[in-house]
Amino acid sequence: MDEPASPWRRWPMWLIIALALAFLYVPLVPSLVASLQGVEPGQWTLRWYGELWRTPLVLGAFRASAMIAVLVGILAPLLGLLAAMSIRELGVPRFILLVMLLPLFIPGVSMGLASAFLFRLLGIAPSLATIVIVQTLWALPFATLIILTAMTTFDPQYLEAAYLAGAGRWRAFRDIELPLIASGITGAISFSAILSINETIRTSAVQGPWNTVPTYIWSTYRQVGLSPVLYALMGLIIIATVVIVLSFLLLGREARPR
Amino acid sequence: MTRVNINRRDALRLALSLSAAAGLGLVPPRAHAAGTINFADIGVGDPGGDWSKFKAASGYDVNLVSIGNAPSAVLNVLVASGGQGTYEIINIVGGMQKPLVDNGLVEKIDTGRLPNWAKDTYVEEFLGNGKPGFQFIGYDNDIYGVPTVLQGDSFAYLPEKTGKLDSYAALFDPKWKGYVALEDNYTTAGQKTALYLKKAGLAKIANPDDMTKEEFKAVTDFLIDQKKKGQFRVIWNSFEQAVNLITSKEVYVIDCWEPMVFVAKSKGMDVVYADPKEGYLLWAMAAYLVKNPNRTAEQTEAAYKLLDFMLGGWYGAKITNLRGYMTNPQAETYAKDNPSEFPAEQAKRVAEITENVRRKFRQGGTWQNRWPTEVEFYESEWSRFKAA
Amino acid sequence: MVTAVEPWARRVLLCLPLIFIAVFLVIPLGLTVMISFWERVGLRFRPAFSLASYVSLVGGARLEVLRRSLLVAIEATALSLIIAYVIAYFLARKVTPAAARIVLVLFTIPFLINYIVRNVSYTVLLGRTGVVNTALMAAGIIDAPLDWLLYSDFAVLLGLISAYMPFMIFPLFLSIGAIDRQYLEASALLGASPLTTFRTITLPLSLPGVFAAGLFGLVGCLGESAVPIILGGVGYELIGNTITSSMDVLNYPLAAALSSVVILLMLLLMLGWYLVFDMRSFLGRILEWRA
Repeated sequence: MDEPASPWRRWPMWLIIALALAFLYVPLVPSLVASLQGVEPGQWTLRWYGELWRTPLVLGAFRASAMIAVLVGILAPLLGLLAAMSIRELGVPRFILLVMLLPLFIPGVSMGLASAFLFRLLGIAPSLATIVIVQTLWALPFATLIILTAMTTFDPQYLEAAYLAGAGRWRAFRDIELPLIASGITGAISFSAILSINETIRTSAVQGPWNTVPTYIWSTYRQVGLSPVLYALMGLIIIATVVIVLSFLLLGREARPR
Repeated sequence: MTRVNINRRDALRLALSLSAAAGLGLVPPRAHAAGTINFADIGVGDPGGDWSKFKAASGYDVNLVSIGNAPSAVLNVLVASGGQGTYEIINIVGGMQKPLVDNGLVEKIDTGRLPNWAKDTYVEEFLGNGKPGFQFIGYDNDIYGVPTVLQGDSFAYLPEKTGKLDSYAALFDPKWKGYVALEDNYTTAGQKTALYLKKAGLAKIANPDDMTKEEFKAVTDFLIDQKKKGQFRVIWNSFEQAVNLITSKEVYVIDCWEPMVFVAKSKGMDVVYADPKEGYLLWAMAAYLVKNPNRTAEQTEAAYKLLDFMLGGWYGAKITNLRGYMTNPQAETYAKDNPSEFPAEQAKRVAEITENVRRKFRQGGTWQNRWPTEVEFYESEWSRFKAA
Repeated sequence: MVTAVEPWARRVLLCLPLIFIAVFLVIPLGLTVMISFWERVGLRFRPAFSLASYVSLVGGARLEVLRRSLLVAIEATALSLIIAYVIAYFLARKVTPAAARIVLVLFTIPFLINYIVRNVSYTVLLGRTGVVNTALMAAGIIDAPLDWLLYSDFAVLLGLISAYMPFMIFPLFLSIGAIDRQYLEASALLGASPLTTFRTITLPLSLPGVFAAGLFGLVGCLGESAVPIILGGVGYELIGNTITSSMDVLNYPLAAALSSVVILLMLLLMLGWYLVFDMRSFLGRILEWRA
């Protein structure tokens, strides 16, 4: 029953996937179109892509967002990994799991406000650090759950066997467990980074002197309209991602003879 | 035993890299980097990122932080999140003095320190103490806001679909059922509805700009009735959305801001901003000086210089040209006299917009009230309208 | 071989995430619940034990907003779960790992584009004069534009599904992919139909993924405030919007009370999970761990 089905039985599934993907990719088209439209109706131009580099506000927001995403992409999966291990090892799995999931339960607006109050109580001025903390908190349950899901699929007997064979904890983790949960960890990294670059509400409560791409977009979207330069930034992100993904896929194919 | 050492070292390494990563995030922010003014703004006050003229004159950089204009966004930024220690100036739609001053968030402005203040005849003419516009910049006879932008609101329509319209009644005319959009804002849409109900004799409302609970309840009931009849297509929430509603002809009559019409026109649309017989809804943006406990006298001086700069000709002309609002009396002449900075077509645009808005203010109308006496009741009634 | 020093350092390390959450979340959470009982004096609020906020919550339109938020979130999550499960099942079982990886990456790319921009794009596509209506009219399928495509329940559901469904595929994929094929083969050998095998083996064993995915979807949808604003039409308000709106008039106690109710609801939901599913099904082999 689970032999690779013959191709003709699979096409309906591919169709469903193609539809789901189309549904997600279609909204990218209007952004690309908007980034290429000139001032006059019906005119096409690459001008906004050039203007982007002369718009310090947008560039600054982009730099801040990228930096924050990298930090959150490191911190949340690391903490998530530790959390998943603590769920396994500290003897109170349900309690820890519940605590780790707490950040999910609080509506974003309230969480932003509550953390803002906390930072104020602690005397921490809003800065890049407060943004990173708030976003890590938001991404942590996702990272933890994904790593945990990967871990539940992995039989602890392997680790015990490794200990019996004389491997230390670290070695057993690195050589045996890590490769087995690697997909969970890479998943956690990309989830965390993606959550970070889209987070708006919590961030805006603690942004201090920083603009991030989403807070800047949200503000201009509501008061002055999205500028073509913003669409150009979105266009660049699309193009850059496609290039990076394609090169990964091509390199991956060469590096991994299957 | 060596194995144990490796373990401990690795654990240490992990902990170190963790704290290093955290440390990276603690890079001191640019806040209060010497020579930078942190300027929170709702997007309207951004002169395209170009502060070179101010820097040349004062030696200070400006770090513009884009924030939302909803009172919650503004107040949260100041009340909760230590924005008071971060920002020097906050430039938002005015009329927020009551919550801002009563909570000790902004400072009185010493207009004597602003050379351009006396040159801003709009203050005297429309916003001075005793004038109805005073509520946008003053409180208890003191000045708290520097007026940066002025505008009068009504609604827009597509003449090809509706013909000429000149009353807020159009928003509730069954002829355009399902082709009307309102703004999601009780101090604009709510007040415009009240203006219409009062002038049409449909409800007894003493002051549309400061209604009693009963009056606002009548307005809400009317709106809910209209909503149930399917009068409104959408209650819009953002500039971008409103422009799209016009350019895509999703709706024919829309309660909106005039700059949205400018944007739609620039995209080739035939759209008119109405001159309603009930009058325009007038308002102004104000730049507030944040009561920042960390600020030195020198930084305060720089903040005043920035406020003064914003009352100047170059900044005014730039903002009028970019955003479509009237700014200050020097803008028009500055744009005309400096063709190297403002090409003829831009100078013409600045003059047109300025004249048009000035006409609205001279013609008079009702002033928007951002913080009516019963604001809390307004908010909960508006919630009822939206949930209905 | 393993000395006493190591478990100690290890324990501290393992407690880091808990400490992180305790400091940055549990305290703010406590503050939120506390403030919900405070009373307002003019524009400020002061410590008290007042139920005023809860009374106004129950009395006004907010309860309706809460009910609708829950309903919409559950609908969107259920629909997303079905779609995501089908896709994850197919990717985990029917295609090569390399192909699955590519498809999974394809599902994440759109999320690099700001979600506000993406939602605005849907309005361009679904409006009365949008691409979809224009195409349908040109094809002669409809005579007048379909109004329910935009500014409607449909549009909000669509926005929510597109925002959270892709997040749900990944945990499902991980847990379905990890089911030991020997079970499936044994089931088939014993003569079970594919459907029975799915019901008795695949589905129960993939519950960890279903749990994670369901939670991602539900909390995401429940807390969402941009989708209803952009796609929702005539005053479509979800809980996040009504909280923001109450902050507009500095009614922090009411905002806190609304948040507390949401938090309580979510905790009850979790409790339900504990009771009905006995977390063993989720934590699985982890509970067998012997340090």
